[in-house]
Amino acid sequence: MIEPLLSVTGLSKHFPARRGVIFQSTVGTVRAVDGLSFEVAPGETLALVGESGCGKSTTGRLVLRLIEATSGSIHFTGRDVRALNRSALRELRRDMQIIFQDPFASLNPRLTVGDALAEPLRLHGLASGAALRRRIDELLAEVGLSPWHALRYPHEFSGGQRQRIGIARALASRPRLIVCDEPVSALDVSIQAQVINLLQDLKHRLGLAYIFIAHDLAVVRHISDRVAVMYLGKIVELGPKRSLFAMPRHPYTQALLSAVPVPDPAAQRVRIRLAGDVPSPLNPPRGCRFHTRCSHAQERCRTEEPALRPIGTAGQVAACHFAETITAPALVSEAEPPYARRLAALRKLALA
Amino acid sequence: MTDVALTLQSEADQKAIAALRRKNAVWRRILRDPPAAAAALFLLLVVMAAIFAPWVAPFDPYANNMRLRLCPPGGERCAAFLLGADNQGRDMLSRIVFGLRATLGMGVLAVVVGGGLGALIGLSAAYFKRLDTPLMRLVDVLLSFPSILFGLAIAAVMGTGLVSLVIALSVAAIPSIARIARGAAQSIMQQEYMEAGRAVGLGDGALLWRYLALNCWPTILIYMTLQLGQAILLGAALSFLGLGAQPPTAELGSMAADGRKFLQIAPWVSTLPCAAIFLVVLAFNVLGDALRDALDPKLRQ
Repeated sequence: MIEPLLSVTGLSKHFPARRGVIFQSTVGTVRAVDGLSFEVAPGETLALVGESGCGKSTTGRLVLRLIEATSGSIHFTGRDVRALNRSALRELRRDMQIIFQDPFASLNPRLTVGDALAEPLRLHGLASGAALRRRIDELLAEVGLSPWHALRYPHEFSGGQRQRIGIARALASRPRLIVCDEPVSALDVSIQAQVINLLQDLKHRLGLAYIFIAHDLAVVRHISDRVAVMYLGKIVELGPKRSLFAMPRHPYTQALLSAVPVPDPAAQRVRIRLAGDVPSPLNPPRGCRFHTRCSHAQERCRTEEPALRPIGTAGQVAACHFAETITAPALVSEAEPPYARRLAALRKLALA
Repeated sequence: MTDVALTLQSEADQKAIAALRRKNAVWRRILRDPPAAAAALFLLLVVMAAIFAPWVAPFDPYANNMRLRLCPPGGERCAAFLLGADNQGRDMLSRIVFGLRATLGMGVLAVVVGGGLGALIGLSAAYFKRLDTPLMRLVDVLLSFPSILFGLAIAAVMGTGLVSLVIALSVAAIPSIARIARGAAQSIMQQEYMEAGRAVGLGDGALLWRYLALNCWPTILIYMTLQLGQAILLGAALSFLGLGAQPPTAELGSMAADGRKFLQIAPWVSTLPCAAIFLVVLAFNVLGDALRDALDPKLRQ
């Protein structure tokens, strides 16, 4: 077992829900993230998936300590992230970076691209003078931009280009872990592929580890090594990509996967439709948080909260009382689709 | 990983982009708007005249000649005095030029000092959330204080004169600019790039200056331009009441006050300084509005 780069245990973030203007009173707590535990190995991509509002982005920001956690522990290369003081935190930011979702909002409009890239380099004392200029050119080249782009302002770039500037900024201090907060969901599909390929390319060349926050499962399947599925602030299933996609154990994962479009017009699929909305994290359901929308829910699910436990041999864990007995419906029907059958018949005719 | 949009940008395109940038520079956009261009030109003339008053003014503003007392503009007694003479036979034009110098000077000084302090208060209130309530309540207290009363209080403590006048005007400029700055800064604080800056590891100073202030300054600058008109008006009013410049200092407000006694027999002594104040304040307001339109990216075409 390799020493993990990042290990998170029991991480929680509760936001107080306040009411009133002058005399504020706390009327409840929003459990945005509630007892997460996971690890990221060096050079590994862990995907965090789930619906909007399930706490994915909050988790990413907690790990970087952009927001303070309520409880739990975060260890990064042996450092206790939650106990770091100001200067140690700056050191941490050198090794851990973030790429934001909206490339139009994440770059300071008053700084040229060169200035934006120079910031982390100067701050961490990584380069100055001519070396600084060289390193900026190098970073721009790394993400497929040209040296003369350094003099431009962000508003002169397209969305895809801006996202690459954001990536270059994250790479500037040569971090070991980058939190990618839905880095492609604000981009056009054609640009998405470029950025995803760039991220993968950089990972292989620089040995980066990613926490890849996404809701697009096709993207996740492409880029990740392991996948954690989140629901209402908790991880409901975590496992290696291959086994999780082949054999999802938690009913929620199964429902998510059944919603992925299959690029075959004739494919026969069993769609699991989830009824209703995600319950409010202000007042999550008792027992299993998913029981209000689960078709397999039984009495036990309403009273007893399932813990994450290993299921199968591939290192998969799931939080469901009935994970062994619920078999995943065939995501792509086993039977030959009619389209393929017709094609085969035509081919036979042509040969005859 | 080649991007078509990138490879297409050749040297020629670079030049075209640079030309477009020059064409859309802020001052060019202001000059394309006729009233704003007129206001800018007028203010340029006025400011130059105020700065170079000793060379521009045709006569000594303090040389009195009782034989030319209350000589009307174009009068035969004082053909050389284009705008006539005041109650002590001093050249009105020269006095107005020197008066502009004092009035504009105190207005600019007050807005720079008061606006700077106000901006600092507003930005800090938005950035350090803990300071928000105490700072803004302080601003509310300042705002609820009538500026004329404050001018009186300062004059009572420090004596009348231009220095106490500038202090009173600066304090009067603080609250509104602090509020505008806080509002602008709060909307910037919501932007993702503030978080991005923190993620880079930048300290409070860099975030406040390079991220917050740099993105707020157009709003603050526009408001300071508008506030300049207000400061000049208030300064003139305080001088009119005798709290600012003391005679014989040429200052537009006190000149208007001096001429008040002769309003029926020699209206120009009082009205000409008032007209000068009116035109300058109007020009600052027009320019401030144009500046707002020019600096607001949403109104750009």
